[in-house]
Amino acid sequence: MGEMSDLLREARTTVLHRTQLLSRSWISDEAFEIRCMRPPQFQFAPGQRVRFVQNEVERDYSPVSSPADEEIGFLVKSVKGGLFTSVLASAPEGASFHFTGPHGYFRFYPSERLPVFVATGTGVAPFVSMARAGVKGFILLHGVRCFLDLYYEPLFRKTAELYVPCLSAMKDPREGVPGAFAGRVTDYVSCQLASGAYDFYLCGNADMIRDVILLVDQKFPDSRVYTETFY
Amino acid sequence: MGNIRRCAEQGRCSIKIYTGTGDHGKTGLFSGERVSKADKRLEACGDVDELNAVMGALGASLAEEDPNVAREIQEIQSALLHVGACLMTTPGSPLVDSLKAIEEEQIKSLETAMDRMDALLPPLRGFILPSGHPAATWAHIARTVCRRAERHAVSLLGEAKQEEWSAAHRRVLVYMNRLSDYLFVLSRYCNRIMGVQETLWEK
Repeated sequence: MGEMSDLLREARTTVLHRTQLLSRSWISDEAFEIRCMRPPQFQFAPGQRVRFVQNEVERDYSPVSSPADEEIGFLVKSVKGGLFTSVLASAPEGASFHFTGPHGYFRFYPSERLPVFVATGTGVAPFVSMARAGVKGFILLHGVRCFLDLYYEPLFRKTAELYVPCLSAMKDPREGVPGAFAGRVTDYVSCQLASGAYDFYLCGNADMIRDVILLVDQKFPDSRVYTETFY
Repeated sequence: MGNIRRCAEQGRCSIKIYTGTGDHGKTGLFSGERVSKADKRLEACGDVDELNAVMGALGASLAEEDPNVAREIQEIQSALLHVGACLMTTPGSPLVDSLKAIEEEQIKSLETAMDRMDALLPPLRGFILPSGHPAATWAHIARTVCRRAERHAVSLLGEAKQEEWSAAHRRVLVYMNRLSDYLFVLSRYCNRIMGVQETLWEK
């Protein structure tokens, strides 16, 4: 999707929903999942995101929960000096937050083509929501630095047709995680993914999204590409 | 152009202007396909984009004299963004459901505006030259770009089976046709409010 559709989705009317922090569980040294009260009337499709609004700070997060869940969950990577993640990392249970949304059109569109989910880091969040909502039979390439960042491995081992953790800091592919690929997700797409037409769903940093799209243009004609950029 | 605002932490908060994904002549449709920038869809969407830019110049040229019409033009500019999104979505795609279709009311509103302006104009007694006050000439330029956009939209949608056209796609053609007429009347109206005589074609 191009820049115009990005702009259009930003222009949607914004209703402010109030939520409360219910719990926080750390899933690695740097990342934690928060569960929040689901505001009444709030509905979303797996893959869509919400925009937290806190004083002058706005941050977008994609829920990791299923729309059918009673609560709404978010994956957060703590950033040193981050204005908002530091608040989320330390807020007491019961703290109030506000968000708008849902925003965006990044959601699952079933088709006759095989879906290939490509994520870097916490960009895996929308795919967690999709998998928890019942989406199965996809290829997931999750690019992280080391195995500690594979936050939702058991879920994807159950739901993906092929789950490939791509570990950029892994020196020897025979060590550690079963089925892991030593390298970046772009290396996997370039060298390992069989030719064909796929539905690519890309979520993560802008460089990965650009590089995969350029590979799709070269090697995977007649594919579809849906993107969500996480900075 | 550059990055509007870069976040220091996770959680996107602004739109990055450059992506580099179009450096080799391809771009992405709203419906997910990757196509050449020379594709018919890009022609049609580019025309709508050009029209929107001309509408901006038109609005700016009459904002002082008629702020109400300038506001009307802004509403049309917003609608044109939805028209562009529609043209970037292949009929039959599941993304069609995410489109905001032009509403019947928006088409009616163009007609009402035309009737309102027309009531203030002398009867049309022949062809008029696209000329006069700068605001009027902007309206004429906008009209011709609008007609080109409409031609490209017709050509583009003609490639899809009619039964695959969504309500959003059908309304685009109606809206563009009505908008061209609106711009013609607006050009005459601009000359009128600016006190410039329109020039009849002398055969």
